[in-house]
Amino acid sequence: MEALNIQFAPGTGTEEEWNEAYARLADYFRSYRLHNRIRRTQLILATLRKAAEAHAKDPSRKPTDHAIEQARHMLRAWLGKIYRDMQMTDAQIEASGRLGFHLSGGPDRWPNFFLDEQNPPEKMAEAMRVAVRTSGPRLQVSKMTPRDMDLGLTNVAEDTFDRFGKHPYARYSLLLVLVVLVLGYVYKLLK
Amino acid sequence: MSNGAHSANLGPLPGMLPKNIARMRRATFFVLVLLGTILGTWLLAVFLTGGGSGGGWRWSQIGLLLVFVPLFYQLNGGFWTALIGVWLQNRPMDDPIDLWGCLTAEDDGAPLTANIAIIIPVYNEDVTRVWEGLRSCYLSLEKTGQLQHFDFFVLSDSDDTNRWIEEEVAWLELCRQLGAFGRIFYRKRRKPINRKSGNVSDFCRRWGKRFRYMIVFDADSLMSGGLMVAMVRIMEKNPGLGILQTFPKQVASETLLGRLMQFAQALYGPAFMAGINYWQGGEANFWGHNAIIRLEPFIEHCALPPLPARVPFGGHILSHDFVEAALMRKAGYAVRLLPATRGSYEEGPPSLIDMLKRDRRWCQGNMQHFWLLFAKGWHPMSRLNFAHGVLSYVSSPLWFLFLVFSTVLAAFPDKTGGQQREQTMLAGQLLLWLTATLIFLPKVVILSDELLTGRLFKPLKLRLLTFISSILDTVIFSLMAPVMMWFHSRFVIKIVLGQGVHWVNQRRKAGGVDWQEVILTFWGVTTLGVVWTVAALCISHQFLLWISPILASLLLAIPLAILLSSTQTGRRLGLFLTPEELEPPTVLSDMEGNLAEVKGRLQLPPEIEKSYGLMQVCLDPYVNGLHVSLLRRRRYTELSREYLDEIARRFIKEGPQALKPREINAIINDTETVTSLHYRLWSSSEHDLAPFWSLAIKQYNIASTNPFTHLLAQKGVQMLEIPMEK
Repeated sequence: MEALNIQFAPGTGTEEEWNEAYARLADYFRSYRLHNRIRRTQLILATLRKAAEAHAKDPSRKPTDHAIEQARHMLRAWLGKIYRDMQMTDAQIEASGRLGFHLSGGPDRWPNFFLDEQNPPEKMAEAMRVAVRTSGPRLQVSKMTPRDMDLGLTNVAEDTFDRFGKHPYARYSLLLVLVVLVLGYVYKLLK
Repeated sequence: MSNGAHSANLGPLPGMLPKNIARMRRATFFVLVLLGTILGTWLLAVFLTGGGSGGGWRWSQIGLLLVFVPLFYQLNGGFWTALIGVWLQNRPMDDPIDLWGCLTAEDDGAPLTANIAIIIPVYNEDVTRVWEGLRSCYLSLEKTGQLQHFDFFVLSDSDDTNRWIEEEVAWLELCRQLGAFGRIFYRKRRKPINRKSGNVSDFCRRWGKRFRYMIVFDADSLMSGGLMVAMVRIMEKNPGLGILQTFPKQVASETLLGRLMQFAQALYGPAFMAGINYWQGGEANFWGHNAIIRLEPFIEHCALPPLPARVPFGGHILSHDFVEAALMRKAGYAVRLLPATRGSYEEGPPSLIDMLKRDRRWCQGNMQHFWLLFAKGWHPMSRLNFAHGVLSYVSSPLWFLFLVFSTVLAAFPDKTGGQQREQTMLAGQLLLWLTATLIFLPKVVILSDELLTGRLFKPLKLRLLTFISSILDTVIFSLMAPVMMWFHSRFVIKIVLGQGVHWVNQRRKAGGVDWQEVILTFWGVTTLGVVWTVAALCISHQFLLWISPILASLLLAIPLAILLSSTQTGRRLGLFLTPEELEPPTVLSDMEGNLAEVKGRLQLPPEIEKSYGLMQVCLDPYVNGLHVSLLRRRRYTELSREYLDEIARRFIKEGPQALKPREINAIINDTETVTSLHYRLWSSSEHDLAPFWSLAIKQYNIASTNPFTHLLAQKGVQMLEIPMEK
């Protein structure tokens, strides 16, 4: 670990904006389950410095925006180095690499080397590479196609039913006729 | 076999019943059933016509007789199934067709020679329950020493984004805990075509060739490793077996209804299963889960054709299991039941309303089988199985009509006198006694068998408690039956009139009594009860007495539904006990212990709990990475980038509640959008975020110390490190 330099004096942006950026970065790095607070503080400071440089070049964007963008750049560079020998796109490296750090137990075992592009321990790098998994075994495609079925007598019923089904009024009229017939029969009995 | 127009010519493959045994058994059973039906029908005819000495038949009498025949056939079928079952249970010699007989002592510990896939199709299910169940089965298999032959596949069709993300998280965590990467797999279909059967077919197409067998689970299934290994051995020794279905016992119920059902299943189920096995033989049914299937013929012959006409009567086959069993049999493979009282479990609906929702879906599925009744090539028993399935729901409107005709006849009695009147009365009394015997004698016989043999419980006290419980369950089920009849009749009529059902996930655990839902559901049936009671009062006191059990049930529908949903289940008094409650099998007790641990944890604030999965996939770098990794092979090209960007913008600015589920699904299905959402949310200033996200960002790290552990048990879990060798 390098000596701690706590100097941070951005040339652009307000104190309130940089405080918001600081708070957001603190939450963001915490979401990586880095329990070592000193390492988190170092990362926040390093990221804020890079964000301050970026904000000086493009003050139209908020310091928080720059801060998270810089964190992402640092992450991509770090993961890119670890996964450089694997045939993966940048997007795959970014997604699977994050997961690989978690699966290898990185937040607990190597918290001080998170985003440390210069000195990643080989053991950590190897564990992260091994941890990149897929969700299923290789496919072995087979055909499963339904066979035709001769429905016999119901073919006739099918046509009738289908035709009948297209006419809801006819359907409900038939039901009405049935109800009237039953009522008529009851009336006849009562007479 | 072209187009499957003929039934396959069956060779003498082990597993298939010898024809002479099958014929003798069916002849015995159906002769008894038909004799009983003819006797009952004759008695009714005498009762209605007073000996038939003239006067002719009235329309209401003909109607009554017509609906009576199938109802009495069904009653006889149940009666003889149970009695034959009890006889088989008490037979001193082993049943020659018992599949357990093919296993020998040398089989114990011998390595399996086949690869088996255990598939668990899920649809918006309780994630913790599914994965803890899987863990229990996995550990149970591990104890058998045969785990290396089994792969697990959770096949998700969940369209609730939160559930989907939770399933991914649970998959990763369980694999990590068990060191089961490469043994437990998770697959999510983007388009849930053809529901569960489509999900299973999709598995078969993609991975089916890798396995000789698949064991199908439901989301609430649980099976012991010992039973699964035994099933594989039986399949290996009987190449003529296509499907082997176990008897899944209902367990883990928390409500009175659930406990009643699991008690009834435990007490009466084995006898009924033995009886069904007796006459179904090699043409049994598949019930969709807790069964093992030979994959090659299943892939070759059991793809489901669409039915003619449109939903609800036609279209995609809903109750696929019966049809798959018939197709398997048509292809020349036996479908058998495996009578086993331990090792195969499932859960049931917790309330009457949940039961009715499930029944409505099953009703539509069974009614669709009407189309298949006359199709060519089926084995006659498969055809009969379809007919029984249809009849199981159509019998409700038939019973209702029977009661209506009886009411009409009571209101307008035939004037007969003298000897004819005596003959009529005698026939009526005999019929009443015969019906009561058919309904209650099987229960009496099974209960007596339990009291004498102690199959369920050895201590006398428990046998006596079983006796009391049986009387209570008979009263409660008698009260439930007319209510079920009314609802099933409505389902049948609605389906005939073209009203289908939606695919909804099932509630399997007690969720408290919702009085409003109960009253809204059952006020109609109560009103019917009031009207019918008044009518019966006007007709005669004798008729009122005859129909009073039905009317009492209808009038008491609301309090009955509330009582059945209650968690006051009589367990403290020792009522409705099952062997699984007193001595839970390891596979069940492991799972329940883990579920209790997860349930006992502190709950998150409700607004976060509700959208927790969604929040995790957007905010958590690891969950986001996991989700994108699982999506990565997909190319989502159906929606334009501008459209997805616009939804993402609203998602951040207005919060998830402002979006429709399909919009949320669209962005969560797109790798680029999900990745960018993660950074856009974290980099947005407070005033650019919806209040939901402001709160979520502040609360997330407090709520979750580890993003992957909240869904699964952690107690006693030894985290396995990922091996360094790939």
